[in-house]
Amino acid sequence: MIEVFTLAFLMLVSVASVVAAYLAIRERDMVKAIVFSAIQSAMYALIFYVLMAPDIVLVYIPVSVGITPAVLLFVTKKTERYDGD
Amino acid sequence: MKASEVFVLVSIIVFIFSLAYITSLGGLGQLPPVNVRVLAQRYLELTWNPLKPFMSSSGYESVTAIVWDFRGLDTFFETAVFYGAIIAAIAIYRGVKITGKGKTIGMSPIARTITRLSIVLIPTVAASIALHGHLTPGGGFQAGSVATVVAVLIIMVFGRKAIIRKGLTKSRILLLRSLGLLGIGFTAVALLLAAIALGVNAYIFQNQPKPFAPLGFPKIYDGMILGGSLLLFNFFEFIAVTAGFTLVLLLLSLDEKDVRKVVVEK
Repeated sequence: MIEVFTLAFLMLVSVASVVAAYLAIRERDMVKAIVFSAIQSAMYALIFYVLMAPDIVLVYIPVSVGITPAVLLFVTKKTERYDGD
Repeated sequence: MKASEVFVLVSIIVFIFSLAYITSLGGLGQLPPVNVRVLAQRYLELTWNPLKPFMSSSGYESVTAIVWDFRGLDTFFETAVFYGAIIAAIAIYRGVKITGKGKTIGMSPIARTITRLSIVLIPTVAASIALHGHLTPGGGFQAGSVATVVAVLIIMVFGRKAIIRKGLTKSRILLLRSLGLLGIGFTAVALLLAAIALGVNAYIFQNQPKPFAPLGFPKIYDGMILGGSLLLFNFFEFIAVTAGFTLVLLLLSLDEKDVRKVVVEK
C-alpha cells in the first residue's frame, strides 16, 4: 500500500515538474520564467527526497532555489527582461 | 491558458510517461540491477566497521566517507576546479572598483526585518550540516551552499554595499576562500608531514591507521565520534564554498555600467 502511495506521489510531483518546465519555456517575462524554473527544481528536490538521497536534497535546494535564481536574476538585470520576437 | 497550450502540455506529459514505460521494460538498453551492487555493499560494510579497522573510515555517513576518504583525491581536484572557476571570474572583473560608499536602495521594512531574523538562523543550519556531516546526511559543500543563501539575501534585500560595509570586502572573501583550500590541502598531507618528522610511513589523504602506516586522525574522543579527517575536510570545504559563491555573487551584482567601462577600456 505504502509503495503505491509513494509511486503515485512521485508521479504527481514529476507531472508538476513537467508543467513548471513547460511554463518556464513558454514565459516571455524572464523573472517569471526564473520563478517557474525554481518551482521545477523544488519538485526535483522532492523526488530526490522520496528516492532516499538526502545528501543531494541538502545541496539541491539552496543551489536550485536560492543561488541559481539569484545568478539568473543578476544576469537578467544586465540584459533584457522581456523576450521579444 | 488556451486549449492549444493544454493540448501541447498533455502530449508532452504522455510522451514522457510512454518513454518512461519503454525504459522500464528495457526497450532503451539493459536495465540496472534492482539489488544493491557489490561495490555499494563494500562501501556500506566498511564505512563504520570496528572489526576491520585498517579498511574502514571514521564516520557513520557513507556519502561523506566516500567523498572525503575512499575517493578523497577526486574531491580535492573537484574543489581545485571550482577554485579555478572563481579565479577566472575575478580575472574578468579585474580593475573594477568595489566600494561600499554611496546610497543603498534596499527592500521594504517587512523584507528587511524577516531577513534580519533569517540571516541568524541559516548559518546555524549550515554549521550543523557541516559539523555533523560525518554522522548525518550533509557535508562541506551542502553546508557551504546553504550558507551562501545568506549572502544572496543580504545582496538582494539590503543591497550589495551592505555586505561590503560589514567588512566582507573582495580581498577578505578571497582570503577566506584561500584559507579554506589551504586547510583542505594541509589536512590531506598533515599525516604525511607528521610521519616524515617521526620517521614512519604514511599516505596522502590518510585518515585512519593502515598496515605499516601507524598514524591516524582521532576517531573517538570522550565517547564522541570525531570523524577523523572527515570533520576537518567538511569544515574547510564549508568555508571555501561559502566564500567562493559569495565572491561570485558579489561580482555579478556590480553595476553593469561600471564594469563595461573598465572592460572596454582594457
